[in-house]
Amino acid sequence: MPQELSLGVDIGSVSVKLALIDTATNEVIFSSYTRMGGQPVAALKRALADLPELPAAVIRAAGATGSGRHLAGIVIGADAVKNEITAHAMATLAYYPNVQTIFEIGGQDSKLIVIRDQIVVDFAMNTICAAGTGSFLDHQAQRLNIPIESFGDLALSAASSVRIAGRCTVFAESDMIAKQQYGFSRAEIVRGLCEALVRNYINNLGRGRELKPPFVFEGGVAANKGIISAFERELGERLIVPPFYNVMGAIGAAILAWEEVAATGAPTAYRGRDALTAEFSPTSFVCEGCANNCEVVRVTMNGRIVATWGDRCGRWSESVDSR
Amino acid sequence: MKLSFAHMGPISVYRRLIEALGHEVIMPQKPTQRTFDLGTKYSPEFLCFPFKCLTGTFIEALERGAEGIITVGTSQSCRAGFYAEIHRRIMKSLGYSAQFFALDFHRPREFIQTLAELKGNCSWWRFIDIIRLYYAIIAALDRLQAKVRLLRAYEQRAGDFVRVWQQILELFDTCRSRREIPELERSALELISRLPLRQAENAVRIAIVGEVYVVMEAHANLDLETKLASLGVEVVNSQYISHWLRRRLPWHKASVEIALARASQYLKIDLGGHDQENIAHIIEYREQGVDGIIHLLPFGCLPELVVQSILPRLSKDLDLPILSLSVDEQQSTANYHTRIEAFVDLVRTKKRSRARTFWPIQAHPDFTGILEPVNAARLGAIAVAAGTFPWC
Repeated sequence: MPQELSLGVDIGSVSVKLALIDTATNEVIFSSYTRMGGQPVAALKRALADLPELPAAVIRAAGATGSGRHLAGIVIGADAVKNEITAHAMATLAYYPNVQTIFEIGGQDSKLIVIRDQIVVDFAMNTICAAGTGSFLDHQAQRLNIPIESFGDLALSAASSVRIAGRCTVFAESDMIAKQQYGFSRAEIVRGLCEALVRNYINNLGRGRELKPPFVFEGGVAANKGIISAFERELGERLIVPPFYNVMGAIGAAILAWEEVAATGAPTAYRGRDALTAEFSPTSFVCEGCANNCEVVRVTMNGRIVATWGDRCGRWSESVDSR
Repeated sequence: MKLSFAHMGPISVYRRLIEALGHEVIMPQKPTQRTFDLGTKYSPEFLCFPFKCLTGTFIEALERGAEGIITVGTSQSCRAGFYAEIHRRIMKSLGYSAQFFALDFHRPREFIQTLAELKGNCSWWRFIDIIRLYYAIIAALDRLQAKVRLLRAYEQRAGDFVRVWQQILELFDTCRSRREIPELERSALELISRLPLRQAENAVRIAIVGEVYVVMEAHANLDLETKLASLGVEVVNSQYISHWLRRRLPWHKASVEIALARASQYLKIDLGGHDQENIAHIIEYREQGVDGIIHLLPFGCLPELVVQSILPRLSKDLDLPILSLSVDEQQSTANYHTRIEAFVDLVRTKKRSRARTFWPIQAHPDFTGILEPVNAARLGAIAVAAGTFPWC
């Protein structure tokens, strides 16, 4: 009997994540992380083309998550299209059943998931601003001329830190400049920045919530050692960073898709290699039906409209079969 | 006089009520991006989102020839009590000399005076008769809407329930006397029961509480109810105009106080919004078997901000998931939908795990078997669902 696999796709704000897991063991067979540079469909196709040929295995299910989940779901032919919070919780619980708190910091948003007895009981997403996200670190690293990859090591090299106002990116930036001009070293400032981000994250998302270990930290920012150590100092606890920290959402989507297929017994909707040859083109137009002037997005596959969204009244989206 | 009002609740009924008093009505337009843009441009920045919506709505009505605005401005409320006057001044500074009729339920003398101006030549007996008819129509529509909100979770063809609701409004548009209402209500239920429904397992019921404008109006909450229905969630809405009116009747004062007393262990004083009421709602909904609560507040709303800070305690005490969402003129849905979907997942899982430790559902005196009139057999799985008729 061939090995049964499930494919998960996570399209976030800056990258496309792919994970192929064994449905019996949840073992990750293959995973990839592609920066998309604003072109989700092209990046997704590239990532799909790089899937290895596995003659002894068969893909039984496919799932999509992330802010681009609807588009991803159409392109690959997904059995389950789920939000990132559920997907992250699923994946984390599969490997760390005792987890009680999940920190996820991605490119454009950050999440906190509270789990008790293997059930999600509460969650929070940053809704105020970008001060607690990867994009902010990216931007500051660029400004300080530090490659983002060595950002964490630089932060760890600092013996002390400076306090930087992390409540808002604009204030954080002007505060950083002020501290530079006082003569603090880059390493100290970078460490201060990591601490500001963590403080902001805990104050903003953790407010009113009981944060209990074990803590699991995932998302692209979990690669940053400076942030991990800032979290550990703040919480006084070790953080677990899963080996596949940056594709946990995709793993969760794969698990959810398999659950769906196993529950319904239906064959997978996964398009396989056909997804690569099909021509997907999203187009948009401004509907003039009322003063809302919604920007309606239409996705066509080989010339046929397969999805429409963006209209507030349902005038366009109701006429298309969403599947 | 050409009159207009806020786009809130059953506006087609308000129209007929005002026309019955001999006025012309300029119907408020459903707020669009233009309304929000106008409202944001001409409102003080730190006033709440409903104020801005109303500013935009009023400007659009005045542009179309309205001469007077009917609104509510109670003196015992949060800063919303000043809104009528601020709106009047903003409109004046924009060059519109609109007359504002602000109904203040807490100042009987001014209240009667405003009504006297509005009723025109109509006698007081006739006036009371008209009010009773339109109140009865609104109450009937509210009862029907409560059912539609529950059943829409099982909609088979997208848009069915929106269409049937339109039909029901048209049906009631012909109503001329209170005697016709029971028959119209039966026909409306007949229309609803003819809709094909899908079977659904693991249905959950979520109640929406919060600031009245954003809870009632789909355009102000990014169409939360449609989103929930598409996820297969039975929706209970805490705000209905008929309930709001009924609570203001002097002879209902005692029962309202009893209901609000339940909130006092969390919040001792009335902050002038729907704060204590929302807390009481949440407690009551839990007893009625609601699986989760979504709390909506407009950005900058003081009473609901206080409620928001009490929610973690309520959630813990009642063992009930609560999601608080803040809305403003920002119309991006990505983050909003992610949170709603994740919350619905959370509520589903929680309900499944709770099936083991069953929380007894108390019978509710107001619950009159809401599904009975509908063809129960066709409703399949939901027929047995415990009924929660919104608290009043």
